[in-house]
Amino acid sequence: MHSDTPARRGLRVDAWSIWLSVLAAGLLVGLFSFVYQWSNGLGVTGLSNTITWGLYIVAFMFLVGISAGGLIVVAGAELAGSHRFEHVNRLAVVCSVAAVATAAGTILPDLGRPQQAWKMILQPQLTSPLVWDMGVLTVYLLIGVIDLYILTRVPVSRKSLRVMAIVSLPVAILVHSITAWIFGLLVARPFWNTPLLAPLFISSALVSGTALVITVGWFIEKRTEYRVGESIYDGLRRLLLWFVAADFFLLFTEVMTTFVSGEPSHRAQLDILLTGRLAPVFWSEVILGVALPALILLSKARRSPNALAFASVLLLLGVLAKRINILFAAEFSPLVGLAPGIPGGRSGQAFRLDEVYIPTWVEIGVLIGIAAFFFTILTIGIQRMVLPHHRIDRIE
Amino acid sequence: MSEKPSRTVHRLGAGESSAKISPVEALSVASREYGKIDVRSAHPKWGMAVDVERCIGCWSCAVICKSENAVPLGMWWNRVLTDGDALDTPSSDEHGRQEMHWVPLACQHCEDAPCQKVCPTSATWTNLEGLVLVNQDDCIGCRYCMAACPYGVRVFNWATSEFPVPEGTGMVPPRPVGSVEKCTMCVHRIVEDQVPSCVWSCPAQARIFGDLNAPDSHLVQVLESRNPSTLLEEKGTHPKVSYLEPRRRRPLTEVRDDSLGDVTP
Repeated sequence: MHSDTPARRGLRVDAWSIWLSVLAAGLLVGLFSFVYQWSNGLGVTGLSNTITWGLYIVAFMFLVGISAGGLIVVAGAELAGSHRFEHVNRLAVVCSVAAVATAAGTILPDLGRPQQAWKMILQPQLTSPLVWDMGVLTVYLLIGVIDLYILTRVPVSRKSLRVMAIVSLPVAILVHSITAWIFGLLVARPFWNTPLLAPLFISSALVSGTALVITVGWFIEKRTEYRVGESIYDGLRRLLLWFVAADFFLLFTEVMTTFVSGEPSHRAQLDILLTGRLAPVFWSEVILGVALPALILLSKARRSPNALAFASVLLLLGVLAKRINILFAAEFSPLVGLAPGIPGGRSGQAFRLDEVYIPTWVEIGVLIGIAAFFFTILTIGIQRMVLPHHRIDRIE
Repeated sequence: MSEKPSRTVHRLGAGESSAKISPVEALSVASREYGKIDVRSAHPKWGMAVDVERCIGCWSCAVICKSENAVPLGMWWNRVLTDGDALDTPSSDEHGRQEMHWVPLACQHCEDAPCQKVCPTSATWTNLEGLVLVNQDDCIGCRYCMAACPYGVRVFNWATSEFPVPEGTGMVPPRPVGSVEKCTMCVHRIVEDQVPSCVWSCPAQARIFGDLNAPDSHLVQVLESRNPSTLLEEKGTHPKVSYLEPRRRRPLTEVRDDSLGDVTP
């Protein structure tokens, strides 16, 4: 659509219209699944009274995490007085806004009665971390939108950018902390109930957020005349290495403390990761989602944008696996674990101690819709905010 | 374990639905007399003690709870857990003696209820008499309370039941699909000065219900004399349901010492 030469347009429009059809189809699938679930109850999902939160909450955690890239990286650099990443500012903020808006929407399909969701806004209970999160996500989304407004003015007002950076950095830290506290403040789930959960969420958010900016930047570089540039790739790569190291350190110290001296119920939930049902996910997270990408980032191939993007995709998958591990490790092993267990909740469902969670097509459908929603906002943002101004930048 | 169909005494009879009497008022005089709350202070705080020594694991309380509260198929507000190696396998203590007892489990009506704190709409609330209740109209179905409850006693209305509870079966209206529900300590019976139906129905009288603020109540006296414990005490939830440990069996060493003399081979 924004291609310059007619010769390239022919080719591009083709890929472009396929992409638009994929997005539209994804949104339709999601909408259909959501309406189906709404009219039949959450019984059409694989959830139960034991595994009460499933893939929707994984998606929520993941989406909140990947929103970090934009605001923290941009605001952090701005506050440190570095204009190094200025060139990818708009791209980063567009990624953030898309992720936060989608994350907020992801809560809806998880509700049993979405028609009552307004009560959360009109009669909130202030002791609930879910209410804090709703508030801070709204503020975060607003900051992202204001940032985009500032960044798309010509010339960009440096002063307002700085003010926004001062506001957005603490809010960004809070977003990830409060999202962690939704889980971390529960005495009922030893695996979540650790002070380390908020720092862990921040570090994983930084990893996945930066990785997302790199991946998206690399992709639109391939498809358009947008250029990220070698120095930015290198700067982001260095940042990413620090973030991966911090994230792995926090994970390691959590695992180590619990493994050596954790109280039994906490240890039991950790064992689900180390040797139990989630061991395949956990060890692939460590090997494919942390070790391999870290090696790539340090290897000789690190200068190649392709290798960097590949490592970023691995890191994104690693963080996704981490979300899955954190969520389910705490749910698989209830504190009162006496036979016969917790009633499943639907006709014909017996008591279970060790519930098996198998997501249904409805959940997959809704997740496809969520992904399509994210990519739709991302696509519109890139088309409207990133690419046109990129050309203006170059002309100037 | 199937539900007993013979609770007609507890039900409104046909044609009586227009009469302005509560379901509890419709109970027989004998039933009401048996289920009366013993003493009630000016500001009652309701609690319960479960005498693990007396519990015979018959599940009567669990079943009557289902019919009292119209709890749909697949869901239980109250259930009887087995403290052994498995549902039907006793565990052995260090002396090789078989050990097995039951833990009747429903909402613990915590003083500091984790479920209440996290509810985003305050649908879960504690009434003035200390009962943790759910206002079904305000429940948005986020299931945060279920994640927060250490006891796993909350159940969610996942779907319309395939075999819905017939109209008028329970003493309370059924709850909407998509909301969380749990034990109310039969709050609808308490206002009528009746003990919860699990207490009323227990054939072993293993459940003692009463006012924690009334020093004369049987509950308070039992709690003072029987060294009660609460579940997951270390979580700081301060449940208002206590468990009385079995007294029947003394430690084997003690038995050897005074009554059996030297019986060790």
